[in-house]
Amino acid sequence: MPEQRLAYQIEALILAADTPLSVRKLCTLCASEQEHVIRALRMLEQHYANRGIRLRQVAGGWQFHTAAEHAELVRGLWQTQPPKLSRAVLETLAIIAYRQPTTRSEIEALRGVKTSSSVISTLLERGWIKVLGRKEVPGRPHLFGTTPQFLSDFGLNSLQDLPDTAQLLSEEEIKQIVRANSEDTPDEQA
Amino acid sequence: MAVLAPSSGFLPSIRLNNFEGPLDVLLHLIRSQKIDIFDIPISTITSQYLAILDAHEQLNLEVAGDYLVMASTLTQLKSRMLLPRPDLDEEGNEIDPRNELVSQLIAYEQYRALAEELDELPRTGRDVFTRPVFPEAAGVQRPLPEADLEALLLAFRRVLARIGGEIRHHILADTMSVREQMGVVLDRLRQGSMQLDELLRDQPGKEALVTTVLALLELWRQRLVLIMQQSLYDSIIILPNGEAHA
Repeated sequence: MPEQRLAYQIEALILAADTPLSVRKLCTLCASEQEHVIRALRMLEQHYANRGIRLRQVAGGWQFHTAAEHAELVRGLWQTQPPKLSRAVLETLAIIAYRQPTTRSEIEALRGVKTSSSVISTLLERGWIKVLGRKEVPGRPHLFGTTPQFLSDFGLNSLQDLPDTAQLLSEEEIKQIVRANSEDTPDEQA
Repeated sequence: MAVLAPSSGFLPSIRLNNFEGPLDVLLHLIRSQKIDIFDIPISTITSQYLAILDAHEQLNLEVAGDYLVMASTLTQLKSRMLLPRPDLDEEGNEIDPRNELVSQLIAYEQYRALAEELDELPRTGRDVFTRPVFPEAAGVQRPLPEADLEALLLAFRRVLARIGGEIRHHILADTMSVREQMGVVLDRLRQGSMQLDELLRDQPGKEALVTTVLALLELWRQRLVLIMQQSLYDSIIILPNGEAHA
């Protein structure tokens, strides 16, 4: 069956590749049409759905990874445990991810605390954020954004896949909600 | 609500170390007492907040400023709540002085929740694992011929990893001179180009490595050398800059 053969070819390519393989790349390598490749990928994805390794789409490409339910088992291979991320690091990362490009002072305004340099350098060292440029305001602060490495490490295919992106309220929306609610509530008896 | 007595005695003692700043503390006070965020009893919250601050005689200097600014914001709000409000918006409605703080709290609460959700995503290297080593990919030629500072630093980190070095958290006494090493590097480049690996290979120890890389960066900054990389992960080549000598 040619369909199955294509799926097996793709399986081999993804296993041997050291980066996630895009559909376009797979089309070129297999000399096949996009729709066939996508169908084969769906077939493989389903095949691996309940196995110890899974097929997933991250940062625009396809990749094998171990199933999350075996995390503890797999970690037993190594002596070092992955470090926990502090709340400061996670909140800063979240703000950068959802508001990029953003500056340190915007992050500080949102969190209400200073951002220590170690937080930014942790994120830079992990390769999750990068400097996209400078904002043309006095001081020309760095503009930060997330990297493909961030998408790949958090198992996201694109920034649209960030959790709850649609529900995120903008500053303007928040102001409106607050204004509407403050009109409804009776004044505080101070 | 009976819990809204203006004292902090009933609150379990709060350790600021567990919080990410004043907004985090305020949200905790508001949510744990089931206060309506759109109608915050400012005077109660202010005394609770100040009591928490008082209990911490030694505030971490780095964050003390942020906590104190919030204390003054709250105190100011408290007095503005007592006064007749002169602030009107375009339509002539009174502006609640609390609105700004409430907007800030809601915005922060959103990102605080999103940060938790991010942390719960299956993370590569913590929850899911991919093949970490691809020896078969070593010989692969890849496009991306731009050597930039990051590439230089990455190459440097690789060299350090190979000699088992770790420079972070070490402050080196400046016994080797960068300026002197710049001369040494230029001297070695007199015969023509050379690879970064080659240049760093015979450096005795970490200090010499660091000094050499600093010297190289300085030479690069002064445009005395050119740094090139043919493709990603390829070796980095250093050339004497002809123009500078001319």
